[in-house]
Amino acid sequence: MKAALIGAGQIARQHLACLQTLPGVELAAICDLSPATAEAAAERYEIPSWFTDYRAMLEKARPDVVHVTTPPTSHFRLAMDSLDAGAHVIVEKPATSTLDELEALVQRAEEAGRHVVEDYNYVFNHAPQEILRQIKSGQFGAVTHVEVLICLDILGPGGFADPNSPHPALTLAGGAIADFLPHLASLAHCFVGPHRTAKTVWTKRKPSPLPFDEFRSVVDAERGTAVLGFSSNSQPDAFWLRVYGERMQATANLFETRLTFDGPHNVPKPLRPFFSGLEEGKDIRRAALATLLRKFKGPGAYEGLWEFLARTYGALADKSILPITVSDVIEVNRMVEALKPTEQPR
Amino acid sequence: MKALVTGANGFLGRHVVDALLARGIEVRAMVRPAARLDAFGWRSSVEIFRADLRTSRDLPHAFEGVDVLIHLAAVVSGGEDAQFAGTVAGTERLLDAMASSGCRRLVLCSSFSVYDYSSTRGTLNEGSPIHQSPDVYTRGGYTVAKWWQERVTRDFVEKHGWDLTVLRPGFIWGRDHGYLAALGQQIGRHHVVIGPLNRIPMTYVENCADVFALAAVDPRARGQTFNVVDGPGERIWKYLSDYMRGSDKPGWRLPIPYWLASTVVRLAFVTVFRRATKVPAILTPRKFEAMLKPLRFENRKLQKTLGWSPPFDYRQSLARTYDPAPQPAKAPASWSSGTAAST
Repeated sequence: MKAALIGAGQIARQHLACLQTLPGVELAAICDLSPATAEAAAERYEIPSWFTDYRAMLEKARPDVVHVTTPPTSHFRLAMDSLDAGAHVIVEKPATSTLDELEALVQRAEEAGRHVVEDYNYVFNHAPQEILRQIKSGQFGAVTHVEVLICLDILGPGGFADPNSPHPALTLAGGAIADFLPHLASLAHCFVGPHRTAKTVWTKRKPSPLPFDEFRSVVDAERGTAVLGFSSNSQPDAFWLRVYGERMQATANLFETRLTFDGPHNVPKPLRPFFSGLEEGKDIRRAALATLLRKFKGPGAYEGLWEFLARTYGALADKSILPITVSDVIEVNRMVEALKPTEQPR
Repeated sequence: MKALVTGANGFLGRHVVDALLARGIEVRAMVRPAARLDAFGWRSSVEIFRADLRTSRDLPHAFEGVDVLIHLAAVVSGGEDAQFAGTVAGTERLLDAMASSGCRRLVLCSSFSVYDYSSTRGTLNEGSPIHQSPDVYTRGGYTVAKWWQERVTRDFVEKHGWDLTVLRPGFIWGRDHGYLAALGQQIGRHHVVIGPLNRIPMTYVENCADVFALAAVDPRARGQTFNVVDGPGERIWKYLSDYMRGSDKPGWRLPIPYWLASTVVRLAFVTVFRRATKVPAILTPRKFEAMLKPLRFENRKLQKTLGWSPPFDYRQSLARTYDPAPQPAKAPASWSSGTAAST
């Protein structure tokens, strides 16, 4: 299967490094507006051709799959043209700037008989997958509630809040935080399903080019409830996922390898907290070592992206059901739309 | 004569602006939109042009009336991709703008990091081998970005028939920039010094700036590449001791012979880290060499071609770096003449 990529920036590195390792996948072409960026990526990842004009690339390389890893506001046009060129599209989150664009994109994919897949990489990290496995096995009990809270300092001068060069994500409704809504929504979606209603609070604590730096939401979904949040001000950086089941509860930090379960123990009830504590301590110590070791090797917190791409290419090759289906993409984007701010920043 | 200086408010840039003015060259200083300039005390004759090479659309205006571009801007912090985007794609955008102007001469600030230390023996000079693709991609973000910046610049120069001088400074030091990566590993106030008697390829910032100003005006610099070091370099142990004394940061120094540290790093790599993809630079044998390999350094080509010698010797440079009251920058006699030669 021939793969091509548009937009050789930071996240592209993870896509390219993973694609190099996938059997049956040939990295055929890469495109970036900067010739040096495209050529450097081609040299580094042994890609036979590079382009600065994506239309020329689609025409000459005829890829089976196009990865769109440019800034979000350009995704729609690039993805539409890639579908028209007969390719499946794997697009970085957020797939489009608006729900209307997303629906148009999905419709075009259906007409063209191609797939359009949005990258929900954190869903495929080890911890959420392990929790899903426990749920499927019946040990966990039905999920009643999920909490996802990302604490990430995005107010530093180098990234989203760069005072010299406005970050492209700032044009999204909600600003830089909107870039993270698909992570929150996709995790909520995989545990409690599509949303019915959502209430949101968008606030700003510190002066910065960002319209908002704090976000919270309570979501009522088909199979349970969710509390989603993003904090630019709480430190240290963490990506907390907590899933509440009828028999067990799970806690994970997706920036690390930490995953702990708390559930029934075969001990008298007064002793349960004692044994739970011992077990949790053991799991956290083990995770501390694993987190340290993974710093030396592999994709780190992007492990889910590699897993997602491996499964997606596997499914495309077998013509089986994709790990992220078109209805997943639509439902997650509807939830994202419900999470967006309705008012201008205070 | 008018020079456009990118990165003009950086550590080197500030001094390059002064050095150009001292030679009677008009300066347009390109700084980022949010840069604060109040502390520099630049004369009103310095024209400020605010732009970010990554995104600004009016870069062609920066070249109006400019005879020479002195390109110092580079992104030296952040991740590998941020450095590449800022340094390399930024240079592409800048030189695209230059191509639409009448300016045909440029001086590029490159770096010692483009040299392949592993294949260099004895003395490192302008003839020493530089990195090759794809090996360069294993050498870290700063090296990749500076190597590509030089490559992109040479491509533009060839395409447009411009005059290029590439200057590759060693470690640039001076006031508030006394600590150098070549000094080993700092642990709190204490230092693990690897190869204490090795020499540092170093240039005092005002000396380095003088070379940039000279290269801008001297026709003998055209088409040339020069390493910029003040001389053979001080030994790490001595420079570190001057740094600790000068900056009043006393601490312990633990010397470790280069061969011993190198053996340990190689052993660790072969036994533990070979399969690891993300090892700290100092634990990768080739990066370790690039940081610390004992080589000799010289500025013979600068001396022979441009007749340059550093305006300030090591002792004077130390005084200008660490003395409490900075002396007003006294221009060497030749600067005021407005001619190219400095000796």
